[in-house]
Amino acid sequence: MNRIKKNNIAHSLYSLTPVILLFVSVLNEIDFNYSGLKYFSFNFAYILIFYYNLKKSEGLGFGLVFIAGLLNDVVIGMPIGLSSLIYLLLCGAASYLRNITLRPNLMKDCIFFLMTILTLNSLSFLILTFIFSYELNYLDQVINIIFTFIFYLIFSYFFNLLEEFIRERS
Amino acid sequence: MERNRDDFVIAIRSAFLKKGTQQRFSLLALIFFSITFLILGSINYKPINNLKKILKETVYLSSFIVSVPENLLGKTYVNIYNHFSHYEEYKKIRKELEILKLIDLNNQILNLENIKYKKLIDDYFVKDNETFAKVLIDKQSPFLRSIIINKGMKNNIKKGMIILDEGYLVGKVIEVNYLTSRVLLISDINSKIPVSIQPGDIQAIMSGKDKQKGVLQYIKGTDLKKDNQEFIVVTSGAGEVFKNGIPIGVIKMEENDINADDKIVNFYRDFSQLKYVKVVSYSQELESLDSLSKKDSNQQQGKIKETNQINETLRILKEQKKIDIEVRAKIEEENFILKNTIFKLKNELRISEQIINQNKTLSTDLKYLKLDLLYGAKCKKNFFNKLYKVDSKKYKACVLNKGLIK
Repeated sequence: MNRIKKNNIAHSLYSLTPVILLFVSVLNEIDFNYSGLKYFSFNFAYILIFYYNLKKSEGLGFGLVFIAGLLNDVVIGMPIGLSSLIYLLLCGAASYLRNITLRPNLMKDCIFFLMTILTLNSLSFLILTFIFSYELNYLDQVINIIFTFIFYLIFSYFFNLLEEFIRERS
Repeated sequence: MERNRDDFVIAIRSAFLKKGTQQRFSLLALIFFSITFLILGSINYKPINNLKKILKETVYLSSFIVSVPENLLGKTYVNIYNHFSHYEEYKKIRKELEILKLIDLNNQILNLENIKYKKLIDDYFVKDNETFAKVLIDKQSPFLRSIIINKGMKNNIKKGMIILDEGYLVGKVIEVNYLTSRVLLISDINSKIPVSIQPGDIQAIMSGKDKQKGVLQYIKGTDLKKDNQEFIVVTSGAGEVFKNGIPIGVIKMEENDINADDKIVNFYRDFSQLKYVKVVSYSQELESLDSLSKKDSNQQQGKIKETNQINETLRILKEQKKIDIEVRAKIEEENFILKNTIFKLKNELRISEQIINQNKTLSTDLKYLKLDLLYGAKCKKNFFNKLYKVDSKKYKACVLNKGLIK
């Protein structure tokens, strides 16, 4: 009985891993989105949301993504609702790709991810610049997009390992 | 073709409208919520603002808790590094301390003088509110470089207050909640600070550029002296946003292109290492200045009178000096003429004396010759007497005596 209970708790903890990762990355002070290096930054939340919506849609609820976006806005100091919108659109793009894909391929996923983050960052840039009069650096944006794209390959490998580990345990 | 379009529509509908397994909300509904939040937030709708405040209070505190492990790791690394570099730093600091002690004494004197003069021109500010705050979150995103501090409305923090770290400018308060406040760092691209560049007192506007750097704007065409290797950047106090003279950073000319329009400022403080900051606001020293100003004004008036008198005396003395110089020039001219005249007269006198001497000699010779004719025989030596030889001294004396001396 105890063993079953333990297994249940462990399983629910494992299944909550993406949610915990998302909220820690959003609330955490050490942000991958701005690591402090001059020409290096990437958006971990984008990778996480896209991967889990593409591969395991039940892993991250849209409601949680929406709340994570709100928290991110508050922590970073952006207009409330912007990150939520971007995250949810990313979820939408990932869901669309999942629906139209018959044979999954990492490279195709990556290219679709690149196109999506390019579009979403452009949208975010337009909203921030034209509606909220923020000044943003083009170079930072481009570097962020490039590294997010590159790190998608690496992190998707690690997430695959994590998923396999969880599957084995459960 | 028609089939493809249908597939696309089905896929989109499935992605955005259908609730997936264990999904409680449809994506489209949440997107609609987000857009509503954005629009209402942009027009400052009150319920949204209240929601923002509640979220902020919750998030800032929870964010602080979540960040504890990472901060602990960071601090451990810093501690280990400090431990290893301790001795080298100690030697360096000892040397610097000796130099700084000397400089400090000079600075104290200059500060006192500065305060005195600033009071005279009503530009002396005193701290009217000073609070120390802890940095809760140091979230340096590329979009907004800001920090959250653990003091808010409850602690009399107001929007626009200045944030200092050991006397160096860090930023200003842009958002005040009940228990927390957000500080916009000067390294943010949106922060525009009126600054003054020393030496030269060149005015400019500085905005953030990088984690540790700022960039000066609106100094196009301003000539920073090329022989200076470093320029100090301090707040200018223009626009009354910041008190003047708060140090910000340095411009190193070796890092900057001389012809570049935008100069890079290296901040004194490392904003990633902020732990405790000072929140201050300044106001003019009104009361004390009023009481002081009465005494000061009397003293000043006395001084002004004295100075005016001294100036007048100085002016008169200058005039006198001018006249004296003119008189002296005239006297010198006359002196020169007189000297010339004296020289000429002396020459003439000398010539006259020579002529007189010549004449005297001639007259003596003439007298001698005349007397020689008359009395030469009485003095001249011959076979029968033993008198004097002709032209000898005794002969001449005998002739001039008109015969032998008895």
